Amino acid sequence: MEKKNRILGGAGEKVLLTGNEAIARGCLEAGVVVATAYPGTPATTIMEKLGEVAPELGFHAELSVNEAVAFEVAAGAAMAGVRSLMATKMLGVNLIADPLTVISVTGVRAGLVIVTADDPQQFSSQNAEDTRFFGMLAKVPVLEPMDGQEAKDMARYAFELSEELELPVFLRITPRICHSSFPVEFGEVRRPKRNGKFVRDPKRFVMISTYSRPRQKLLNEKIIRARSIADTNPWNRSFNFQNGMMVDPGKVYNTFGIIASGMTFPYVQEVLEVTKVNAKVLKLATTYPLPENLITEFLREMDQVLIVEENDGVTELLTRALAQRKRLNVRIMGKDEGLIPMSGELNPDIVGDAMEKLFGIKFREDLTEAYLKAEKELVSQRVPALCAGCPHRSSYYSIREALRRKGRGGSIMGDRGCYNQGAYEPLEGIDSCICMGASIAMASGISHSGTNEPVLSVIGDGTFYHSGIPSLLNAVHNRSNIVSLIFDNSITAMTGHQMNPGTGINLMGESTGFANLKKIVQACGVERVQVISAFDTKKLIEAVMEEIDQPGPSVIISRAPCALVVERNIRKRKMEMYRAEVDLEKCIGCKACMKKIGCPAFGWSNEPKPHLEILPHCNGCGLCVETCPFGAISVPGKPDDALGISVKHREVKS
Amino acid sequence: MNIILSGVGGNGVVLTTRIIAEAALMEGIDVRVGEVHGLAMRGGTVVSHLRLGPDAKGVLIPQRMADMMLSFEPLEAIRQMKFLKRGAKVIINNDPYVGVDAHLGLSRYPDLCRVIEQIQETQDLVDVPATHLALKAGNVVMTNVVMLGTLSASRELPIRREVLLEAIKSRVPPHTIDRNIKAFELGEKAFQEWEQKRACQTGS
Ligand SMILES: Cc1ncc(C[n+]2csc(CCOP(=O)(O)OP(=O)(O)O)c2C)c(N)n1
Ligand code: SF4
Repeated sequence: MEKKNRILGGAGEKVLLTGNEAIARGCLEAGVVVATAYPGTPATTIMEKLGEVAPELGFHAELSVNEAVAFEVAAGAAMAGVRSLMATKMLGVNLIADPLTVISVTGVRAGLVIVTADDPQQFSSQNAEDTRFFGMLAKVPVLEPMDGQEAKDMARYAFELSEELELPVFLRITPRICHSSFPVEFGEVRRPKRNGKFVRDPKRFVMISTYSRPRQKLLNEKIIRARSIADTNPWNRSFNFQNGMMVDPGKVYNTFGIIASGMTFPYVQEVLEVTKVNAKVLKLATTYPLPENLITEFLREMDQVLIVEENDGVTELLTRALAQRKRLNVRIMGKDEGLIPMSGELNPDIVGDAMEKLFGIKFREDLTEAYLKAEKELVSQRVPALCAGCPHRSSYYSIREALRRKGRGGSIMGDRGCYNQGAYEPLEGIDSCICMGASIAMASGISHSGTNEPVLSVIGDGTFYHSGIPSLLNAVHNRSNIVSLIFDNSITAMTGHQMNPGTGINLMGESTGFANLKKIVQACGVERVQVISAFDTKKLIEAVMEEIDQPGPSVIISRAPCALVVERNIRKRKMEMYRAEVDLEKCIGCKACMKKIGCPAFGWSNEPKPHLEILPHCNGCGLCVETCPFGAISVPGKPDDALGISVKHREVKS
Repeated sequence: MNIILSGVGGNGVVLTTRIIAEAALMEGIDVRVGEVHGLAMRGGTVVSHLRLGPDAKGVLIPQRMADMMLSFEPLEAIRQMKFLKRGAKVIINNDPYVGVDAHLGLSRYPDLCRVIEQIQETQDLVDVPATHLALKAGNVVMTNVVMLGTLSASRELPIRREVLLEAIKSRVPPHTIDRNIKAFELGEKAFQEWEQKRACQTGS
């Protein structure tokens, strides 16, 4: 197995890196001193990679408790004069809006870069918001790379730009940058200089209104300066395509132009090469503030310009405004004209379709009717499920069972985490998923609405630390009658198993002690709190039934480690897990088990008669045993007191 | 050259794509890889786009422009067929992953014969019992290496056998190298057998 971290390596080496790895490398080349993040797909691996090398290279890397904290830590470091990074998925930018819009006013003393991963296709996000609006809101420049090499180089450059303007800078990426791989040529790594010192300057850093007002003016001047810097940014470049070939942009004259922002450029390039449509292309790497002189010159030569960008039509909006201001007579097309879709990520096919609509030239063969018909007949979406042995399945099963037995209905306000996969049938464990930390407060709202049904909420440990605590305090303070369940697997699983304050270790590999979840809940003023094993369904069902009848708020911590983590540890130690077995005599093929818990380790066989089959990835958690009305499922050899996934030789476990 | 790799979470699609991409880079061939990882859980659709040489532009292969596909699961092959050129070679592991969602009727899993038939209608299909062969080599986790063996034997890739093996060795635990080579060879043999079978069929 490759041990060496891929982002290390000497100048001049060419290595296959994901965009995230490339950005991490760019930060090393910039000599980053403090790097912070809160996990969020697709940006997470940036900080994971940095965390692997931070102790060795001598800089500080942390997974902070939430994005606002991560940003404030990074901003503090930048105020103390050292280069700092904060990485997040775009939803985290919502959380940093408050500090960001003031840090842009104070400015920074050393480079402060915010890497934000937008998710236009919503591979793993609750919405498809566009971070560029936060750039506009806070007056912070936004850079967008088109591939891995640019991602690395622009990450390094972003620190320089931040220092030149004394402003934070956004590096905006998407899953297609983060998770794609590109050959990347390394530059020199800069040794991090951990020599920060905070120098007092109250008129700059104490943003009471008297001090803030003059600086607001300064900020407006800075963003104008940022525009002219964008005009000279070498990554904002024109290309000319003639008969499918890239030619000297100065020599040939085209009146059709395309402005392609960030990673859409390669799509545009490919389409022009194949269709042989002649066009001049302005590749945009600075999407806020726009390089106005460059664009004005570009627009002046054109009759028609197509704007290709992902997420919202921000470049389109700003370019239209610019054309109007400069009184340019050019037709600007993009999302407003329906040529580029408003939602979803772009790809070469979509750019090709736009070209076909404009010029009637086909980019590629259409899909055949026969294929489309077969696809419709054969292909359906797979429904995601919690892993086999996931403690969340057991918790959901117990909550639903308790509500069923009570027979009073009830709502379960959900939160954001792996437990979202329990929203699907058959578990249908949650009735909402809005944003991280919303569950408890929304349940409070429902409880105050006058409902006479039980109101519950479900949140994970990671999300509770991230943003659940204030809502629980609020529920106590305002006497919400709710039952809050905390699904404690002691890790932030959904984003790939990152540590959190309950994990006991931090990103630098230091032991930190464990946050005491029960005491935190008690310290919020919750009187009724109990900790129950997530696999102790009997106790969990009883607890939920009991708490529903008590005046709230009360908390049930349902605790068991993430199945994937347990499995990995057991395998690493070359030990075995138990496995469930089906008694063919007893199984009548009714699928009651499936309908109750839908475990992905359930298979089906019709030979010699229809019956449940246990697939090889069963890890013997045992939840299915009680779902069978006929006692057909058992986990042979597993002692009764072994709850959840257990190793076969218990004496070695310790 | 454009290659689609597809499967479900846990199949090793991402790792396999990286192995080929790294081998290509060792051969001095330009590469781009576009992929989507789901979340931590297993069992969801996974696809990656591998672009080699002059096609290494954007990270996404346009529809109808892929030269071949390596699919670790039959249904996932159909899901990605829109990317293939007509007649492009499709190598599949013929071991279906029917999720519990399909048993519950929340989604459908079509009849395997129908899937095979559909692929054969327009594509040059090589189906390999890769899971089975990996078990024979010692462990199901080597299913992807069996598939790499078949891919290598198909001579479609502009990458030499030794280089591909080198890339595999650098990505697997050292003590499993021998087993992995065996898995690779079983994959190669499966291709040869398929070729012989086809020769007989076309000959008759
Ligand atoms: C503001 C914001 N930041 C990050 C994310 C990405 N994200 C989704 S769930 C999750 C954490 C889940 O952890 P936890 O609550 O412990 O649940 P688990 O997945 O472990 O079950 C994160 C970080 C997000 N959706 N929104
Ligand atoms: S990764 Fe862990 S927490 Fe997430 S679904 Fe799987 S077992 Fe559950």
